[in-house]
Amino acid sequence: MPGESKNGMQCAEFDLLLCEVLDEMLSGDRLEKFQAHGRVCPVCGPLLAEAKEGRQWLKSLQEVEPPANLVHNILVATTGLDTVRLRQPASAQPQISWAERMREWAGTLVAPVWAVARQPRFAMSFGMAFFSLSLALSMAGIKVSDLRHVDLRPSAVKRTYYEASGRVVKYYENIRFVYEIESRVREFKRATTPAEPGPAPEEQKERKNNNNTSGQPEQKQERNYSQGGDQPVLASAPNDPPVVTVTTYRRFV
Amino acid sequence: MLVRRCLAGDAVAWEEIVQKYNRRIYNICYRFAGSGEDAQDLTQEVFIKMYRTLKTYDVGRGAFMTWVTTITRNLLVDHFRKSKQDRVTDSMDTAPSEHEDAMPLSEQIPDKAAPPDAHVQSRETGETVHRALQKLSPELREAVILRDLQDMDYREIAAVLKVPEGTVKSRINRGRAELARLLQRTYRQVM
Repeated sequence: MPGESKNGMQCAEFDLLLCEVLDEMLSGDRLEKFQAHGRVCPVCGPLLAEAKEGRQWLKSLQEVEPPANLVHNILVATTGLDTVRLRQPASAQPQISWAERMREWAGTLVAPVWAVARQPRFAMSFGMAFFSLSLALSMAGIKVSDLRHVDLRPSAVKRTYYEASGRVVKYYENIRFVYEIESRVREFKRATTPAEPGPAPEEQKERKNNNNTSGQPEQKQERNYSQGGDQPVLASAPNDPPVVTVTTYRRFV
Repeated sequence: MLVRRCLAGDAVAWEEIVQKYNRRIYNICYRFAGSGEDAQDLTQEVFIKMYRTLKTYDVGRGAFMTWVTTITRNLLVDHFRKSKQDRVTDSMDTAPSEHEDAMPLSEQIPDKAAPPDAHVQSRETGETVHRALQKLSPELREAVILRDLQDMDYREIAAVLKVPEGTVKSRINRGRAELARLLQRTYRQVM
């Protein structure tokens, strides 16, 4: 029985000392008491023999060899890196030049665009746009070969701009000068023409309208809407009405 | 030192740890779980858990080996609970008289022709002992594995199993005796 005392030693104490005895760590008086208890106790005696035998069985077991890929699998599962890769020195890794890195970086940017451009619908759209542009240019009389001679340098573009603006101003000034000359000539003709009898009121009116070459709407004259056309005119008009010269300037916007 | 280097991000230090401890952990797992496949999976799980919890290791609380063994043991216990092997185990925890009418454990162990005295070192005997070891209860099995196969001292085993040293010694004694009885029945039947 576990709590039974035989030869000055209880079974619980025997159980605790059993490991030390098998490890050959017990000696002296305690070892003698231990052995005496084991000889007379029906439980502890067989336990000593069986524990010793079982220990021998366990010690007979050989250490097993782990699988060859175990370390590799562990490293892949933990760090995600292969063993061979870890063992490579840093210097053995291929050096990538700066230009190659830039090329790779540019490749990563261009690749998506290139993937889109390779699609048939994009090619069809591009073809249609090119055809439309070519048609529009040919209809406008622009040859593509002429575009090659266009100087796109900043100084040349600036010079072209000033030349175009100068031409526009010059054209505008020329038009103004021509109309002014015409007006002077017309005035000079009237001044040199001999006096003629005054035309009928209808002729005067028509003449007045013909003198208006400005193209502007007829100038409004103050009218007395209380008088009708058939009413008698109280004031008499002179027989030789003065010639009115109207000088107009065509406005260019 | 290896742990510090590993925590500093040194991948080579981690590889050294794996190289140093994989054999030991694999053997513990193999003797406890019984099969090589389970042992391989469990060993990988142990190292994955080690890798994730390495920063929690405290040098002042014990040796690194004890910490590693504790992780291994905890995973083995979880594995045992999942596989529910406790339904087929028999150990000193249950009185032998209760199983006298049942099929003896020796019948569950394949017959081996060779007597133990003549072929202790043989491979067949080793397999027989290994299979008998699987019949022990997990508490007894882990105790004898850590003591007789891994040569850990009682204090370290007590720290790993989180039980007093007296309990450790008692489990070791019962585990050894139970194993001896299992093997005695086996070879007695054969002869």
